[in-house]
Amino acid sequence: MTLRRNAVSRRTLLAAAGGAALAAPATLRAQGAYPERPLTILVPFATGGYNDRYARAIAPFLQKHFGQPVVVQNRPGGSTMLGNMFYLQQPDDGYMVMVHSAGPFIPLSILTRNAQYKADDFWMINLPSRDSTLLACATNKPFNTVEEVIAQLKRDPRSISVGVQPASADLVNLALLMQGHGIDRSRMRIVTYDGGGPARTATMGGHVDVGFVGGEGFLPVKDRIRPLLAFADEKVDGFEETPLITDHAKAAGFADEFVDGSQRGFVVSKKFRDAAPERYRIMAQAIERATKDPECVTTLKGQQLATTWYGPEASNQAYLRSASLMEKYSDLLKQA
Amino acid sequence: MIDLDAAGSAVALLAGSLDAWIWVIPGLLIGLVFGAMPGISVSMAMALVLPATLYMEFLPAIIFLTSVYTGAGFGGSVPAVLMNIPGTSSAVATTFDGYPMARAGKHNEALGLALVASCLGVLGSYIVLFVLVQPLAELVLRIGPFEMAAIAIWGMILLGSLGGKSLSRGLFAAGIGILIGTVGMNTAGYLRGTANIPELLDGVPTIPAMVGLLAASQLFGLVNTHFLVESEEDRQISLRRIIAGGMMTFRHPVTLIRGSMIGALVGAAPGVGSSISNLLSYAEARRASKDRDSFGKGNPEGVIASESANSSSEGGSMATMLALGIPGGGATAILLAAFAMHNVVGGPRFMDQNRDIVYAIILSNFAQAVLLLFVGTGFVFCASAIVRLPLRFLIPCVLVMATMGSFAIEGSIAGPATLFVFAVLGWLMSSAGYPVAAVVVGLLLGRLIETEMLRAWQLAGGDPAEVLNHPAAIGIILLMCLSLGVSAWQERRRRRAKDLIGVG
Repeated sequence: MTLRRNAVSRRTLLAAAGGAALAAPATLRAQGAYPERPLTILVPFATGGYNDRYARAIAPFLQKHFGQPVVVQNRPGGSTMLGNMFYLQQPDDGYMVMVHSAGPFIPLSILTRNAQYKADDFWMINLPSRDSTLLACATNKPFNTVEEVIAQLKRDPRSISVGVQPASADLVNLALLMQGHGIDRSRMRIVTYDGGGPARTATMGGHVDVGFVGGEGFLPVKDRIRPLLAFADEKVDGFEETPLITDHAKAAGFADEFVDGSQRGFVVSKKFRDAAPERYRIMAQAIERATKDPECVTTLKGQQLATTWYGPEASNQAYLRSASLMEKYSDLLKQA
Repeated sequence: MIDLDAAGSAVALLAGSLDAWIWVIPGLLIGLVFGAMPGISVSMAMALVLPATLYMEFLPAIIFLTSVYTGAGFGGSVPAVLMNIPGTSSAVATTFDGYPMARAGKHNEALGLALVASCLGVLGSYIVLFVLVQPLAELVLRIGPFEMAAIAIWGMILLGSLGGKSLSRGLFAAGIGILIGTVGMNTAGYLRGTANIPELLDGVPTIPAMVGLLAASQLFGLVNTHFLVESEEDRQISLRRIIAGGMMTFRHPVTLIRGSMIGALVGAAPGVGSSISNLLSYAEARRASKDRDSFGKGNPEGVIASESANSSSEGGSMATMLALGIPGGGATAILLAAFAMHNVVGGPRFMDQNRDIVYAIILSNFAQAVLLLFVGTGFVFCASAIVRLPLRFLIPCVLVMATMGSFAIEGSIAGPATLFVFAVLGWLMSSAGYPVAAVVVGLLLGRLIETEMLRAWQLAGGDPAEVLNHPAAIGIILLMCLSLGVSAWQERRRRRAKDLIGVG
């Protein structure tokens, strides 16, 4: 609670300071030698994950367009909650930016871990990478289509074991699918895994009959699984043949609501954007130029990293849409 | 199973490239140093050098990282033997017998044993990998929650009463360890015992807790001693005795092979790895031994069992990573990241299309195991100088190092705070005669048992009869009962024989 109150009071303070700065733009420009120090990319995950790789791959290009050295710092723990709290406590001087799977991790930490910040305390600059939940089974399982799985679950919800991460976007998608088909989730055999990796191994190894887990991690082992349904509204890279939830829902006659598995990219705090709009503009511009840099596009593509520039508007819209959907279905998240 | 053409071009690949070799020894040294620092785990050592590999070619980068992996795997054992502080969580069981050996003046031998057992473990597991990479990976993929739970329970039963004179105190200590291990979010997403401290969401940080428990209980106990090794003439550092210790490894081939098998298999199981395999191997060696009581008091077999298992886990986890593209633990996750940084997607397809590179990685690891023998001997020789350091200097140094290491893990005060709390707990428990090692075992194995049992229960939908569909798990449990029964029977017969002699 203390933390929260501090944050608010500081925000008011900074807003006032920002207002003063706007009133006297000349003064700001006089001291505004921004950027004059190295920029830190804060990754709230351990070394080696997608966000870490993305941050390290784009860092040299960001350095070129930002005009200052760029360093990557990892601060994992509590499913990004520790990193988020740390970031919000930093000064709004524009020398730290996050590379984050903002959706679903920020809303999830609020809904399932009582994090004391709000989803819109964060501001997305660009979220180029989107991962979608995939319903998949091992190749030796007897299911060829999602309809077969649903039909069997309708006959007997206990007949199929399902692997999923608790408190995840995948679980919301699972819940929405079952709700759409009128299948009683509490009677199903749901097996929980603390991470996408273990859930994927269990699906691939056939420990569970089907799994709901982010599709991207399946790419290297595509031959060993049978993708049945993708929770996306357009074709998923690498799983172009897989039926989409939007079509499936339309055919079955229920609302085609789903949440994105992961939305990753550059994130800052809203109070930084509000308090130092000029610095924010410089930072966002550097990120945009780095993202569009042809050399950067080639390098990132080679490492299977996303490079699209969607911009703050589209990115925030996508992030907030997924956050509010998750909030709407937060009761589904609480019962694994 | 061995593709000879690919093996041939792997040899050519290695022979024709100086780059593939110059990084091996620096890698081993970096691994040894970081591994030996309490608090820095194998995967952290690799994470530290990962950014540097971005600027290397693919093969040298992977070889460099696996050298760090190999080096760190052994590095953790040096402080485990000399100071009862496992440098990494994979060296916990090494402390059980390694440290008593050092206190008895056999530090040279203990380190030699650990080194040779480690080198042979690495070598053995990579030989398995070379011949059986695909079958091993397939086997591991079949280990589901039922089987894993059975294995973990086996380990827990064998280790439950570890090191204690009284069974009830041992069980009590193990129970405390298990309870502490349940703090945090469990696999079903329930928060327990976090007391609103966000740092506890992932559970009590294992490494600082472990270092606190093991180190503090020892160091406080040493306050009135002047040197680690009491007798003056034993306090020497002797290359001859290190080598003699190394040769002792060959006198226990069964322990060595069993340890390597357990290590390769358990290390290959995703999410389990070397911090569990060394405990299981130790437990098995102790159960199978005729002289069970000498374990925990400086039995060389205990060191061999632990070290062969923790180092052979490397080959095991490489098998799952190469054949399936699954990171079994932190270290292989870093390797996969390094793959990705070089535009290579690890996994079955990579292995099918680049068999020569896979073989080159394996062959280079053979060479690493041999080189570790030499680099490691040098390292051990220098490191064992600390037995000559008076304890009034050594103890503060160790405490500062341990605090720094625990800070390095997360870069926050949570690590040192945990270290302090558990140091007090460890000291209180050991002064009251409770075995702290059992707390550590509970901490490490408890979480695994809970997670796997919960998944097994969810999978069964609450129906206990489901276990009948998992013959492997039943097999493990039956084997466990059988081996426990045999041990109990042997014990009884031996005691009766002893009584008869006593009477006669």
